Amino acid sequence: MRLEDATAYTAECFRGEPASCSWACPFRLDVRSFLDKAGKGRWAAAYKVLRDATVFPAIVAALCDQPCREHCQRPLLGDEPIAVRDVEGAVLRYAKDRRPQSYAIPPKDRRIAVVGAGPAGLSTALNLAQKRFRVAVFEKRDAWGGALRPHPRFAEFDADIALQFSAVEVGFRFGAEVRDLDELVDFDAVYVATGAGGGSFGLLESWDRGLLTTSMPKVFMGGELCGVTLMEGIAQGIEASKIIEVFLQTGRATRPPGEYDKAKCGHYLDHEGAVSVPLVQASGPDGYTEAEAKAEAARCLQCDCGKCIAACEMLSRFRKDPRQIALEVYTDMEANPFSTRAVTRETYSCNICGYCRSVCPVGVDIGALLQFSRAARMRAGVHPAALHDFWLRDMDFATGEGAFASPPRGRPACEYAFYPGCQLRASNPEHVLRSYEFLRQTRGAGITLGCCGAPAYWAGDEARLQANIEETRRQWSGLGRPTLVFACATCEGLFRLFMPEIPRVSLYELLADSETIRPVAPFAEAAVFDPCAARDDHSMEAAVRNLAGKAGVALEELKERNRCCGHGGHIRIANPDLYDEITRNRAEAGAKPYIVYCANCREVFALRGKECVHILDVALGLTADSRVPTLEEKRNNSLRVKRELMKQTQDIDFEPERREWESLTLVIDDELQKEMEEKLISALDLKEAIWRAETSCDKFYDESDGTSLAGLVRPVITYWVQYREIAPDTYEVQSAYYHRMRFEREE
Amino acid sequence: MAAGTRVWKCCRCDEELVPKKTVLSYLGHTVAHELLTCPKCGKVYVSKELAEGKMSEVEQLLEDK
Repeated sequence: MRLEDATAYTAECFRGEPASCSWACPFRLDVRSFLDKAGKGRWAAAYKVLRDATVFPAIVAALCDQPCREHCQRPLLGDEPIAVRDVEGAVLRYAKDRRPQSYAIPPKDRRIAVVGAGPAGLSTALNLAQKRFRVAVFEKRDAWGGALRPHPRFAEFDADIALQFSAVEVGFRFGAEVRDLDELVDFDAVYVATGAGGGSFGLLESWDRGLLTTSMPKVFMGGELCGVTLMEGIAQGIEASKIIEVFLQTGRATRPPGEYDKAKCGHYLDHEGAVSVPLVQASGPDGYTEAEAKAEAARCLQCDCGKCIAACEMLSRFRKDPRQIALEVYTDMEANPFSTRAVTRETYSCNICGYCRSVCPVGVDIGALLQFSRAARMRAGVHPAALHDFWLRDMDFATGEGAFASPPRGRPACEYAFYPGCQLRASNPEHVLRSYEFLRQTRGAGITLGCCGAPAYWAGDEARLQANIEETRRQWSGLGRPTLVFACATCEGLFRLFMPEIPRVSLYELLADSETIRPVAPFAEAAVFDPCAARDDHSMEAAVRNLAGKAGVALEELKERNRCCGHGGHIRIANPDLYDEITRNRAEAGAKPYIVYCANCREVFALRGKECVHILDVALGLTADSRVPTLEEKRNNSLRVKRELMKQTQDIDFEPERREWESLTLVIDDELQKEMEEKLISALDLKEAIWRAETSCDKFYDESDGTSLAGLVRPVITYWVQYREIAPDTYEVQSAYYHRMRFEREE
Repeated sequence: MAAGTRVWKCCRCDEELVPKKTVLSYLGHTVAHELLTCPKCGKVYVSKELAEGKMSEVEQLLEDK
């Protein structure tokens, strides 16, 4: 993996960047930080932020024309922009300790001449002196200040200049007019800042705005002499000191990184939920009191984008900036065996539902980044296989023993074929059988029982996904390349992504368009819970609402649509607590019962006790089943659907292969059954474990009451079951558990 | 009867289990731990408490590595 492969996903993200106001500021003052500190009355800390950015804070606080205010986002709420300069003035008054910092760095022997002791020259001289260069300032007049001298508040400015220079050594040569730069030949660099209309030694034409260079190799120039504003001139002094330092080290003038880009002023946020607060007016003529300044500073919205983090439980829980995640996706792949990978748990805790992308002002998709990470980990063989093992085994079943495709009876091909997906038939066979009957009658549809590959996709298993795509294409061609009818938005989305050549339509659209369908209302009022995968499929969303409307259900829209119910990305094993939090939040998102059109959503809500029906119950007038089948029942449901449809289309009596252990009867109480479902332990695995133990005596045994303990070592997971025989081939299960570690000596 | 007070025997060997240092591996890492084992055939016993407690903790740590 290259670093840019990961960071490309978050390249547009601007979280943590300066706010729009700071991009507008010539000094790039961190306005957020400054106002945050001032808002808390931390005057000294606020002063330090201001001083470090602006060089001469009293001059700037008095004279800045505040381009920041033009990009303040307060007006989006109908308010006036923050009075930044007035807060700056207050900070200068209330900060007790304003002594400049002295820098404990060794003095340098390079000499720099600054021509002109106006604000631009002084700023350059001060910044170079702080780096401990030997600086001499040549000023034709008898004092510093330049164009500021006639200003009515010059006394304040004079004091500020004196204060800032009090911690550095600079040689001021007043009354020393430089008439020819040859006079400064002994200096290693020269900065010319003689003010508006000042002498430029014929170099103005050759001035480079970016590098501040001139046609003379060691002569730099800036300030109002060059046509910039007084504020920009002071800000240029900071840049000039950096450029000259690099020049003295390398002999070349290059621009230091961190360019100042006003185009970025445009990153505005919508500030949903923020309230209007009017501008604070000063009660007296001397500006804000402490309380007023704090109140005005506290009006700052602290503009920074955190929309994805605020919107997503997973991102909130891990609290990492998107760009940090991208960096760690990369560094995790470069990790050595002794270092800890930083975002493994996060990678496998993402629902990959795309909600972050939908709330992001610039469309960054962290799910896509983490999906990329899963695939990279799988390719490198550093993925925790146990986190996805259950679903990959389930996919193997759905595409193996559970798979089947056929045109309708007596036909070699079909124009439509139903693609119910693996979960709908497992969860509710009636939904599939009745829908197929509708499609057979109205469209002459065939059937395809398979799996879209979502488990492989979410596991990052590209090889398995690709093999499934090829098999699916082969099946589809065998049916005469029909339009596939989808009941599951996840299947539909994966086909759109990986098999776009296959024509698609949703079952719900065909049902909604049908004259023969008479939907029945299960509730008078309900909310449609749209699955995350339907976010980009508005025809599916509309058809479901249409069906519910025909049934006479009064629909209410949820505040946030297309949120993942929790099932997406198969995070349940990787992060059970987070899964619990997400499913609870979704169940509580609406007070009315839900109408869903995803089998996984239905199961999530049924297990949460949230009143909920599948739209197929509404459309087909079925009695909604609020139960969720066990894992073993789901497998049997899938096989039952296959058996009935094989009979229906091919007149074949399908008998699934029956393993010896399937005839065992297990007695499992409700509490244990619930625990097993939560841990994704199927009774079928326990039956196999018991059968193997009983036929080989490979088990532990407690003579006192005849209890046995059997283990079943699967390639990824080892299951254990504690049980007791209560009748021939009938066992009472006492506990079931698993672990992922393996015994080294084990076969 | 609580799981901890059971006296497990290896069914095949009819031997009571004894603590033995066992090497466990996960995701390319190995950990040694004393586990109840059949002294004859070496079959290792893992209790629910161990599987869902300490082992699960270590598994998660190694997954995060």
